[in-house]
Amino acid sequence: MAYNGGPMTEAMYYVLLALMRPNHGYQLMHSIAEVSNGRVNMGPGTLYGVLSRMQKDGLISLTEEDRRRKTYEITAEGEKALRLEHDRLKAMIEDSRILEGGDEND
Amino acid sequence: MKMTKAVYKLRPNDNWRIGEHESWFADMAAHGFFLKKMGIPFAKFVKGDPKKMRYRIEVNSGDEITSEQKQMYAENGWEYVTSYNLFHVFSSPADLQAPELHTDPAEQAFTIETLDTKLTFSTIITITGMLLLIGMQAAVWFLDETPTLVLIEGSAVFQVIFGLFLLYSTYLSLQAAISIRKLRRNLIEGKPIDHHAPWKKRFQTQIIIGILLTIVMGLIAIIPIFQLAKIDTKTLPESSPDLPFIRLADLENDPDFIREEPVFFNDDVDRGNQYSFNWSPLAPLQYETSEHGFIPGEIQKYGEEYSSSLDTKVYQLRFPSLAEPVISDLIQSRSFQTEREDFIETSHPELDLLITYDKHKTKMVFAHKGNAVMYASYYGHTNIETIIENTVEKIKLISE
Repeated sequence: MAYNGGPMTEAMYYVLLALMRPNHGYQLMHSIAEVSNGRVNMGPGTLYGVLSRMQKDGLISLTEEDRRRKTYEITAEGEKALRLEHDRLKAMIEDSRILEGGDEND
Repeated sequence: MKMTKAVYKLRPNDNWRIGEHESWFADMAAHGFFLKKMGIPFAKFVKGDPKKMRYRIEVNSGDEITSEQKQMYAENGWEYVTSYNLFHVFSSPADLQAPELHTDPAEQAFTIETLDTKLTFSTIITITGMLLLIGMQAAVWFLDETPTLVLIEGSAVFQVIFGLFLLYSTYLSLQAAISIRKLRRNLIEGKPIDHHAPWKKRFQTQIIIGILLTIVMGLIAIIPIFQLAKIDTKTLPESSPDLPFIRLADLENDPDFIREEPVFFNDDVDRGNQYSFNWSPLAPLQYETSEHGFIPGEIQKYGEEYSSSLDTKVYQLRFPSLAEPVISDLIQSRSFQTEREDFIETSHPELDLLITYDKHKTKMVFAHKGNAVMYASYYGHTNIETIIENTVEKIKLISE
């Protein structure tokens, strides 16, 4: 199923985020853990699945392919999708302000 | 250390039970059998020291697994083991505590999309094929509107069982498609695959069913061969007191009556005076006879010599309940030249069922006693009572 602009899975979002800097598979897992402050520890199966699917959908592309490993980077389309998702998430946070004050009532 | 001793284990064929397979491989490794290759119907293991291992099955969109994927998994402690169809097995020693391959079920759901489509497609093909085949078989079976006769004369038993086999494989195919669709939905909803799914009972049942099916299919394949060995056609002897069919000469009861000179021979059998025997699972004893004779010098109305003929069919059935449908079909098989209301049911103290037809010089008798059915079609001037008497005497030979 090609990406249709709807809400992204967490895995997609973080892979795109981590690929704002070109990176290769193994390093990517660490970058994701890093950008999420250790909250997201993505398994290699999930990562590989996301990478091959997003590559097919044109959200990311291979930069150079040396003999040993492939390096991925985000495409213009991918960045657009990432920013749209970011806006959506931000809007969600703003819409959830009511929860921020909720603690005081307890 | 070299692990060389190969062990082959029967394996179930439902590849789509991913969690069950993973836990089977892990349990085998715990007993010292390490998966090497998945074949049909055996999986190959190599013997080694028992070890706690984790196994994960990856489903890909193609038969191939890229070196990149293997490398990425290997860097995380997962070694590639083997592939079968779209399934790729990876393993990792439990004490390595390698990170779980899939941390996001919703993402994993995408990996079984191709498998899902493939299974759905093949199920549609299987169902269509099955309906076509069953339709064709049914058409052939009911072509002459004598389904019971077709059934007991042999060929239909094969078709029925083959049809059941088709139904069963369609069921398996449907089950696979539905289960994978369900698994995909569960993953989308965030429910991960159970890597420790219990497999023992299910796999054992599956293997037993598989063995039974193989035996049944083998037996079915033997039926036509067995039949060929049993079927034969011979020239009728002059008299046959021990054979369970009535004879033309007994009906005529005239010392001048002689059998017709053989008009044509085939395989050394006089086709005008022959009998055949046949075997089938539902009617282990079957005879079919045909004879012709005349009385030299007995001149008839139009100047021809008197001649008569007799055709009979005899069945010893596996189940007496088949007798009435068989008789009904035998009558149906003569429906071309006759009217149904000319067949009259009468009773006879020594028979379970007696139906007669008596018009002009054509006389027919349909009798059933126990598991035996006899049918005689006579053309000549002997009266129907004589035919019934002869039938009653002969049917005793085979009825139980």
